[in-house]
Amino acid sequence: MSTLLEVRNLKTHFHTRDGVVKAVDGVNFNLEPGKTLAVVGESGSGKSVTALSIMRLIPKTTGVIGTDSDILFKGESVLGMDDAGVRSIRGNRIAMIFQDPMTSLNPVYRVGRQIGESLILHKGLKKKEADERAVELLDMVGIPHAGERAKDYPHQFSGGMRQRAMIAMALACDPDILIADEPTTALDVTIQAQILELMIELQERTGTAIIMITHDLGVVADMANEVMVMYAGKQIEYGTAEDVFYRPLHPYTWGLLESLPRHDVSEKGILLPITGQPPSLINVPSGCAFHPRCPYAKDVCRTQVPQLTSIEDGHSSACLFSGDPGFRRETASPSREVV
Amino acid sequence: MSELLRVNNLKKYFPVEQGLLTSRLSRKVKAVDDVSFTVNQGETLGLVGESGCGKSTTGRCLIKLLVPTGGTVEFEDRDVAKLHGRDLKAFRRDVQFIFQDPYASLNPRMTIGEIVSEPLVVHGIGTKTERRSQVQDLLKTVGLNPEHLNRYPHEFSGGQRQRIGIARSLALRPKLIICDEPVSALDVSIQAQIVNLLSDLQDEFGLTYVFIAHDLSVVRHISDRVAVMYLGKIVELGDWKNLYDAPHHPYTQSLLSAVPVPDPEKQKSRSRIILQGDVPSPIDPPTGCRFHTRCPIAQFPICSEQEPELRDVAPGQRAACHFAKPMPIALG
Repeated sequence: MSTLLEVRNLKTHFHTRDGVVKAVDGVNFNLEPGKTLAVVGESGSGKSVTALSIMRLIPKTTGVIGTDSDILFKGESVLGMDDAGVRSIRGNRIAMIFQDPMTSLNPVYRVGRQIGESLILHKGLKKKEADERAVELLDMVGIPHAGERAKDYPHQFSGGMRQRAMIAMALACDPDILIADEPTTALDVTIQAQILELMIELQERTGTAIIMITHDLGVVADMANEVMVMYAGKQIEYGTAEDVFYRPLHPYTWGLLESLPRHDVSEKGILLPITGQPPSLINVPSGCAFHPRCPYAKDVCRTQVPQLTSIEDGHSSACLFSGDPGFRRETASPSREVV
Repeated sequence: MSELLRVNNLKKYFPVEQGLLTSRLSRKVKAVDDVSFTVNQGETLGLVGESGCGKSTTGRCLIKLLVPTGGTVEFEDRDVAKLHGRDLKAFRRDVQFIFQDPYASLNPRMTIGEIVSEPLVVHGIGTKTERRSQVQDLLKTVGLNPEHLNRYPHEFSGGQRQRIGIARSLALRPKLIICDEPVSALDVSIQAQIVNLLSDLQDEFGLTYVFIAHDLSVVRHISDRVAVMYLGKIVELGDWKNLYDAPHHPYTQSLLSAVPVPDPEKQKSRSRIILQGDVPSPIDPPTGCRFHTRCPIAQFPICSEQEPELRDVAPGQRAACHFAKPMPIALG
């Protein structure tokens, strides 16, 4: 399989009055056709900025992408493209679904017209053809009476239907990559289940690769082939979903998995949260950014920045101790003994 | 265990604004429609449901932030609606509220010290210096640095702000705290911190909670009993263990099966009920059982004509369904 998308050492920094915000600081990954990569992390870990960088949607006035960073789409550098080149890809070959279906549709245009817009722009369809195709797309994402509903305005749609319309819009040009930024966070669980089911079904049919940005580990388990865990702008673990869930290497991933309420226990214990607060991206802690919250941190963690290193085949972690066979998930027992 | 709070046939209808030519009084949103439950001293009652099911409206009626359209709320055997003056003020001391959004529920122009001491000022408790040391104690109790009392809310992260809100609700040593989605705006690792803090405080101060949330796993963790709401009604109510191990109502079953479990193999192999369509509008709720339009086991015409009663289906468990039967849904 050829590599569809290669992200090389992506660094996106924002220059603000208070200092430089290192929103994304050295992210690498590959995406293969038809696969789903989940990007997990807490607020401010750089998930969305990674997506916006790929879409070239970082405002030039404040955002600076590192000179040694590169994003290759089918071997071609997205970062090196001129505006026309970017426009020919954005919304066409790489499409994006945003988190909030309430605010990402234009309230003064009919839903069908908004879906058809990219078809007119990228595929050169006539208005009427685009309208017809928009109805087909709405029908495909499971909107009943698509012909009539295409003439509705966004406020006439419920939250779940708007997210379906967003998906229809994103898939209009049959993209190679679909970036979904927290697509179900604003929705109720029963509607979330519908939307995830729809995305899985459409991926099987169209072979689109998906980058799924989420903080919900349940959604990750449902969708992902590969998982990238981010913390303070850095990639701290990367591997297949099975690797990350069953054999996690990084203490932050352990903490994330352990802080979830367990369902298989009949007696309730206390939850095991990660102590402390996520760091400020302007003053990232020295050494490993996670060391102030890490129960296993040693002196060396304060000074030495861990690099993402491959530990097992395709499974990598950015922790100084991940290479140590004694430092494994088993050590993260509820008693939290320091190794 | 003694009953601290008793809710009988609580109803809250909101009038719908309509056009000039149509009758302005005819249509109502039945946000809460005939809900009854009790909360025992020292327990946590979880109230779950999707948006628009009436869980927050119920919470607001409990503390008289909203005046119910019908039914009664009794706190310590006294009808809350009939409380006035000094009694009402005493009630407000005993019952506190924690809000969902830690960003919107703190006044940005007040310092943390002012925010947390405000309930004490309102109720005329202590002198200025006494209040100051009390606020410092409260901040320490919720895990914040007591020296930060002159800081403003914007200097704190989401989890820390929620701690400030909790400190404020504890200031008057209440008996009952209504928590309206207290952790849903927070990151997972911080969520666990706040959930643990709430449990610790419950043990320390003997608090009773009504915990309103849409996240079924958090509710399972914190609650002793759980009520599931759908379109203004309680559809199932029971002990947390029974309700999660053997849900009887098809809506509870669908809700549980819709939660993705954080385990790839279990998640990909477990059977799921995917409900069709959206929640109907509470302005014109479906006749009979309100869930019949989306229910996988509805039988007609009974479900569309007869409204099911909330009846005992197992010891300590009640469900409002004509065909209630247990169906285990593994939550991983």
